[in-house]
Amino acid sequence: MNRLAIGRRTALLSGVAAVVAPAVLRAQGEPIRIATLTPLTGAGGPYGPVMAKVAAAVVDEVNAAGGVLGRKVQLVSEDDQTNPDAGVRAARKLIDVDKVSAIMGTWASAVTTAVAPLCWESKTFLCTVSGADSITLLPHQGYLVRTQPNTVLQVTRCGEFLLSLGAKKAYTLVPQTPFAQRSIEVLGETMKKAGGTHGGQIYDDKKTTYRTEVDQTMRFAPDAIFCAGYTPDTIVLLKDLYRAGYKGKIIGQAYAVNQKLIDQIGQNEVVEGVYTYAPSVAEGSTALERVKKMSGLANPDPYTSQVYDHTNMVLMAMAVAKATTGTAIKDNIRKITQGGGKTVDNAVDGLKAIAAGEKVDYTGASGPCDFDDKGDILDCKFRYEQVKAGKATLVKVA
Amino acid sequence: MLNYLLFIATIGSIYGLLALSLNLIWGGTGMVNLGLAGFFAVGAYASALTTTTGHMPILAGWVLALIVGGAAGLVVVLSTTRLREDYLAIVTLGFAEVVRLVASNEIWLTRGTDGISGIPGPWRVALGREYFNAVYLPILLVVLLLVYWLMRRIDGSPYGRALRAIREDAQVAQVAGKPVLRFKAQAFALSAAIAGLAGALYGHFTSYIAPDLFLPLITVYIFLAVASGGVGSPAGALVGAYLLIALLESARFFVELIPAVTAVQRAALKELLIAVALILVLRLMPKGLLPERIPRAPLVGGKP
Amino acid sequence: MTLLVQALLNGLVSGALLAVPAIGFTAMFAVLRFPNFSVSGIATLGAFAGYVAYGAGLQIVGSLAVAFAIAGAAGLFLDRAAHMPLVKQGALPAAIASIASGLVLENVVRLLFGNDMRGYDRPIARDMRIGEVRFNPQQLETMAIALAIMLAVFAALAFTRIGKAMRASADNPDLAALKGIRPQRVAMMASFVGMGLVGMGGMLLGLDSSIDPLTGTRVLLSIFAAAVLGGLGSAPGAVLGAFLIGIAEEVSVLVVGSQYRAAVGFFAILIVLSLRPRGLLGERAF
Repeated sequence: MNRLAIGRRTALLSGVAAVVAPAVLRAQGEPIRIATLTPLTGAGGPYGPVMAKVAAAVVDEVNAAGGVLGRKVQLVSEDDQTNPDAGVRAARKLIDVDKVSAIMGTWASAVTTAVAPLCWESKTFLCTVSGADSITLLPHQGYLVRTQPNTVLQVTRCGEFLLSLGAKKAYTLVPQTPFAQRSIEVLGETMKKAGGTHGGQIYDDKKTTYRTEVDQTMRFAPDAIFCAGYTPDTIVLLKDLYRAGYKGKIIGQAYAVNQKLIDQIGQNEVVEGVYTYAPSVAEGSTALERVKKMSGLANPDPYTSQVYDHTNMVLMAMAVAKATTGTAIKDNIRKITQGGGKTVDNAVDGLKAIAAGEKVDYTGASGPCDFDDKGDILDCKFRYEQVKAGKATLVKVA
Repeated sequence: MLNYLLFIATIGSIYGLLALSLNLIWGGTGMVNLGLAGFFAVGAYASALTTTTGHMPILAGWVLALIVGGAAGLVVVLSTTRLREDYLAIVTLGFAEVVRLVASNEIWLTRGTDGISGIPGPWRVALGREYFNAVYLPILLVVLLLVYWLMRRIDGSPYGRALRAIREDAQVAQVAGKPVLRFKAQAFALSAAIAGLAGALYGHFTSYIAPDLFLPLITVYIFLAVASGGVGSPAGALVGAYLLIALLESARFFVELIPAVTAVQRAALKELLIAVALILVLRLMPKGLLPERIPRAPLVGGKP
Repeated sequence: MTLLVQALLNGLVSGALLAVPAIGFTAMFAVLRFPNFSVSGIATLGAFAGYVAYGAGLQIVGSLAVAFAIAGAAGLFLDRAAHMPLVKQGALPAAIASIASGLVLENVVRLLFGNDMRGYDRPIARDMRIGEVRFNPQQLETMAIALAIMLAVFAALAFTRIGKAMRASADNPDLAALKGIRPQRVAMMASFVGMGLVGMGGMLLGLDSSIDPLTGTRVLLSIFAAAVLGGLGSAPGAVLGAFLIGIAEEVSVLVVGSQYRAAVGFFAILIVLSLRPRGLLGERAF
C-alpha cells in the first residue's frame, strides 16, 4: 500500500487527524481506494514500476482538482511478483484489508486469470493489460475489461501489415506464453490467405543466446520475422539476427521494441528498420502527450498508456454512478467510454463535464477504449512505427 | 480483515500439508526432495483435470491426486536406486522442472500456460465468496489434522523408528535386517502423495492453476518452513508453515512504513526482508522452534 | 548437417561461458562440502559490478577484475556470516540458507539499479563465415577470455601453494590439517576465489546479452547441472560438464524445440549418473 496519492507528511497528518476527528467526520472524508497490481519483481519487472507511477500521477492530478464526488482518492500499489500465487495473496490483501473497489494493471495472463475470480466474487472491478484470448472468456459477469487487444486481433493486424510491405514468407519467433501457439497459428492463417507461407517456433525466454534458434529461422529463409517476445529476450534475439546477417523485415510489439531496447542495444544499425506496432488512437491525441509527461519517458510502453486509461476510466465511471463500488464501476464504465458525448482524454476534464451534467466519451492514450460485452476492446486502429537512426518514427496509423 | 485472515490461514494450512510431506522424508528418512513443487503440481493437475474435463466429483479428484502424487513419487525414487543417495536431490529438482515444462507445453492435456480455470470448490457457488472460505478452512484443517495424526502415529511406531535408523545410518539399518530400499520408497511415495493432495486442495480453493504457480520458490519456502520449525518434528513443520505465511504477509505491511522509496524499491525491500529473516531464523535457531524429540524405544524385555 | 555443426559450435561457445561459474561452484563444493546456490545472486552482482566498472571506462579485463573482487568479497562475507556456521548441521541447511542469500543479493541489485535491462556498450559485429558455418568474432573473443580464465585457474591449482593447499584439503581435510594446512584459510580462499569466478562468469554471460536482477537466476540450473554432470568437486569435470550441457542445450533446439531445454540437462544428468555414479570425472579429480 503505497500512499502515493498524497505526500507522506500529509498522509501522516491526515492519519493523525483521522484518529482525532469524530467518527462522523471521518466517514465523510474517507478516501476512495483503488489499487494497482503490477509486476514490480520477476519477469514483468521492467514494465510494472512505471505503470504504478503513471497511475499514481493520474490520481494526484484528480486529487489536486478536488477528487471524485468530493472525496480524495487513495491509490494502493502492490507487487504481483509476476507469479499467480503471490498475485492472489496481494489481491486478497487489496480486496479484504484495503477494500479497494478496482484493481488495475495486472500484466501476466496467469496472474490475471488467478486474480479475476477473486474480483468478480467480491464485486471488485478489474482492468488488465494481459493479452491471452481466454481471459475475457472467463465468467466475469462484467467485472473485467482489458485494454490490450486479444491475440487474434493483434496478430492478424501484424500479418496484414507485413503483407502490405510485400512480405511473402513470414516467420514467428515467440517465447512460451499463453499467446505463443495462437500467435503462430493466426499469422500462418493470415499469410496463407494472401498466398504467402509461414513458419514459426516457440523458444525458452531464459536462454542467454539464440544462435541455434536463429539458424533454424534462417533456414526457412523468411523475408519477414515477427518477434513476439518481451524486451529482455527480444534484445538478445535482435542481436543474434543481426550477427547472422539477416537482412529482411522485422516487426515486434511496441511494448518489446521500445526506447529501452534501442538504448540498451546501443548500436543503431542493429535495430535500424525494425517495425513496431501497438493499438492506438488517431494521430494528434493529447492523451499520449500526458502519459509522456507523467512517465518522464519520450516513448512510453503501451502498457503504461493502458494503465493511464484504466485509472481515468475507473474514476470517471464512479463519478457517473455517484457511487464508488466495483459494481458501480461495472455498470457505468461503458457510459463514459463509448456512445458519444464530449470527447475527453483525462479524468480531470471528464469529471468537470460529468459534474456539469454532460455526457462524456473517453478517448485514451492506448486507443479509443470502447469495449464489447466480454470486456474486449472493439476493433481499433493500430499505430505502426519504424526505428530510424535510433528513434521510433511514425509510419502510419490505420 | 477477517476474510483476509481466513484466506491467509487457508494458504498457511496448505503450506502446512506440504511441510508435513517434506518433514516425513527429510526429517523421517534424511532423503532430500527438492522437487516438492513438482509433486504439488502433479496433484493439482490430476484433481483439476478429473473435476473439470472429467466431470467427476471433487472427492474423486482428491483421491486421485493422492494416488497420482504417490505414483509419481514411486517412479522418481525407483529411478534413482542406481544413483548415490545425495543425487536424489538433483533428480527431484529436475523432476519438478520437467513437470512444469510438460504442463507448459503439452497443451492438449494441461491447457498449457493458459492454465486451468473454473476448478470447482465444494459448495462454492451456493456459499458465495464470504462463506466459502469459512467452510473450506475447516475442511482443510480436518485433512491437515488427519495427516498430522498419521505422522505422529508413524513417528511413534516401530516403522518410524526403522526410518529414523535409516536416516542415521542406512548401512547399520541394512545390517540389522531392515528392508532399507522398500522403507525408503514407501516413505517417499507417501510423502509425494501428501504433496499431491496439497496441490489438489490448493486448486479447488483458488479455482485456478497454471504452470507458473509451481516454481521452485515454493519448494524453497517449504524447506525454510520445516527448517525453522524443527526438522523431524511434525508439530514443528506445522508451526514453521504458519510462521512462514505470517512472515510473507506481514512483510507487506512492514515495508509500507519505510519512507522515501519507489514502488520497485519497496518491493525489493520486502523480498530482502523475507530472505534475511529466514537466514536469521536458520542461524539463531539451528534446531528450529520445536526441535525433534526422539521417542524412546521400548526397553528390552518390556512390552513390545 | 550444417545445422548440426553450427549447433555444436554454438554449444561450445555457450559451454565456455558456463564453464567459468561452474568451476567456481564445484571448487567451493570440494572444499566447503555444500552446494552454494547463492551463485545466482553472485553472478548477477558480478555482472553489475563489471558493468559499472566498464561504464567508468575500464576495459573488459579490468572490469572482469572488478567483478571478481566484488563478487568474491560478497561471497566470502555470506559464507562466513550465513552459510559456514550451518554446515556443521549438514550440507542441506547451508544449501537452503544459500538460496535465501541469493534472493538477498538479487534484491540488493534491484534496490540499487531497478529492474531495467542494461547492456555493456560494446559494438555488435556481423558473423564471419567459413563455408556454411558462421561464427562471431566477439563471441570468440569472449570464449577466448573464458578459456584464459580457466587456464589461469588450473595453473594456480597446480603450481601455487594456496592452490595445492586447496586441492589437498579437498581430497582429505584431516590429512591436510596434519600437514599444517590451515583449514580456515583454505575455506576462506575457496569462498573468495570460487565466488570471484562466478562473478566473472556472470559478467561474461552479460557481455553478449543484457543484464538485470534475474541474470544469475536464469543460468543457475545450467551451472549446477554442469558441475554435477562432471562430478561435483572436480574442476576439469565442471569444464567438461559445461561444454556438454552447452552443446546438449543447443542441439536440443533442433530435436525437441527450445522450450524443453531445461529438461535436456536433467535427463543428461540422470543418464550419466546412472552409468557413472560419481559423475564423468569422479569427485576427487580436483
